[in-house]
Amino acid sequence: MEMKVETGKNIQVNDVSPSGIKIIWQEIKKDKLAMGSLIILAAILLFVYGASFFMDAKEIAKVDFLSIYLEPSSDYWLGTDYGGRDVFGQLIIGTRNSFTISLFITLFTAIIGLSLGLLAGYFGGATDNVIMRVIDFVIALPQLMFIIVVVTIVPIFNVYVFILIMTMFLWTGKARLIRSKALSERELDYIHASQTLGTPHWKIILFQLLPNVSSLIIVNFILNLAGNIGLESSLTFLGFGLPESTPSLGTLISYARNPDVLENKWWIWVPASLMILVLMLSINFVGQALKRAADARQRRG
Amino acid sequence: MTLLKLDNLKVHFPIRGGFFRRVVDHVKAVDGVSFELQQGETYGLVGESGSGKSTTGKAVVKLNEVTSGQILFEGRDLASLSRREIKPFRKDIQMIFQDPYSSLNPKKRVLDIIAEPLRNFERLSPSEEKKIVQDFLDKVGLSPESIHKYPHEFSGGQRQRIGIARSLTLKPKLIIADEPVSALDVSVQAQVLNFLQDLQQEFNLTYLFVGHDLGVIRHMCDRMGVMYRGRLVEEGKSEEIYENPQHIYTKRLIAAIPDLEPEVREDKVQLRKKLTSEYESTYSKYFDENGRAYDLKPISSTHRVALQ
Repeated sequence: MEMKVETGKNIQVNDVSPSGIKIIWQEIKKDKLAMGSLIILAAILLFVYGASFFMDAKEIAKVDFLSIYLEPSSDYWLGTDYGGRDVFGQLIIGTRNSFTISLFITLFTAIIGLSLGLLAGYFGGATDNVIMRVIDFVIALPQLMFIIVVVTIVPIFNVYVFILIMTMFLWTGKARLIRSKALSERELDYIHASQTLGTPHWKIILFQLLPNVSSLIIVNFILNLAGNIGLESSLTFLGFGLPESTPSLGTLISYARNPDVLENKWWIWVPASLMILVLMLSINFVGQALKRAADARQRRG
Repeated sequence: MTLLKLDNLKVHFPIRGGFFRRVVDHVKAVDGVSFELQQGETYGLVGESGSGKSTTGKAVVKLNEVTSGQILFEGRDLASLSRREIKPFRKDIQMIFQDPYSSLNPKKRVLDIIAEPLRNFERLSPSEEKKIVQDFLDKVGLSPESIHKYPHEFSGGQRQRIGIARSLTLKPKLIIADEPVSALDVSVQAQVLNFLQDLQQEFNLTYLFVGHDLGVIRHMCDRMGVMYRGRLVEEGKSEEIYENPQHIYTKRLIAAIPDLEPEVREDKVQLRKKLTSEYESTYSKYFDENGRAYDLKPISSTHRVALQ
């Protein structure tokens, strides 16, 4: 008798359908490229965040005229730049800064885009109209001009200001994406059913609508994360990014604007460029696997 | 006892166009519908697609905004209540949806789906809640172990029963069934319909049954109304309408029911031809110059027809 009960329980456990995380994990396991990317990504991030913990950022940013443009050696693993600063140290701190910036920009734009997109999509009508006109306005603004102006007038330009200004412009795409999905979801009967069951609007949005757009959010989040690393670097390269006192991948690459550095002192800009390439590619590959996991028809696993 | 009374209900949707998206016209989805539902009966609304039958049902649960008219539920006018004020009535009026594939949230477990109304109206401990959900699952003929499954693990008929279980948890007085079986195959249809009738007995439910399948409506309903272009054209007891249709639209609708006897096929064809010519010659008797059906006029104590 007891045996019977036990087997019944076992079956029940097996019957539970795989959760979202399990599906994602299976998809990544099936895709060797994504799996490799994930391992590389995790290794780089662990190393960078771990190592920067033991490094003194001030010490690295200190100018030392006795060791300008040294080639890689056992003292300076990746040589030094025109201020005699250790490139390897700058690479570690710079990767950490660039990734942190990218992560927070993506996070903040996701939060703003998600909440406004869900509101606009769920309520539609006038709410949708107001939010969409605000988005149109932000898109119509000349982004680069604004960034340049802010960079010039802000007294202390640091990572936080940079995150803030980028967030101001980048949430619109996400809001539009989420809105379009929410618009199609709200016409489905399960939303109507919740309404007739007396569930308040905020509960419907959070507990019924949100889980159904979640796969879209995750995929978009990962792909944006990769894009935003490049974004920071390109702005810094143009000279409107972070000051040299806060090393980032962009500052390292921007040294290559000097033709002498570009031609003869590869150790300054090649590692940073490679780092960006590897980070962006591996995040993208993981993102692609997630994208497939989110869509049952594309799944491999 | 009258449970629900619709009085000259109108649901119009604006058509916007031109410069500044002005309202240029209205789609009169429901245009002056009046009928009553008695406690414990099943009232059928039939009509072709686009005739406004579903819109009428949805207006009762406030999924559509009412343009004018009254929806009296136990004497209170639902049409004039705001979303907040209507909340207590949600308990008494529930809806079963047409499409069992979209009416259950694919990301939710059965337990969460069926317990949703309970969580809105009652404070229950998780174990009490689980017990109630399992009881209802048992009632609708699903295994109580399925509470941890997701909707996609069930067939269409099973899903529809989950939807029915969800609408029953609050012990409503009135259930709006919006074509509850039209997405199911025939063998499952009969199963679900009989099961709805059993539940009606058990919980003393009143159904407003919206459908286009005349066979299903006849099987289910005590009384019925025939809708055409947002208007009721005929209303009465089911047998009156099936045996003695008075309005030309009803006649043609009944004549369109396919017959399984091959011998009578020729007769049927003749009957339909006859009705078509009758429709053309007597059109003005049933519809005014705008093609709108006239108001209902009683021809017996229970039977009303839209005649000039």
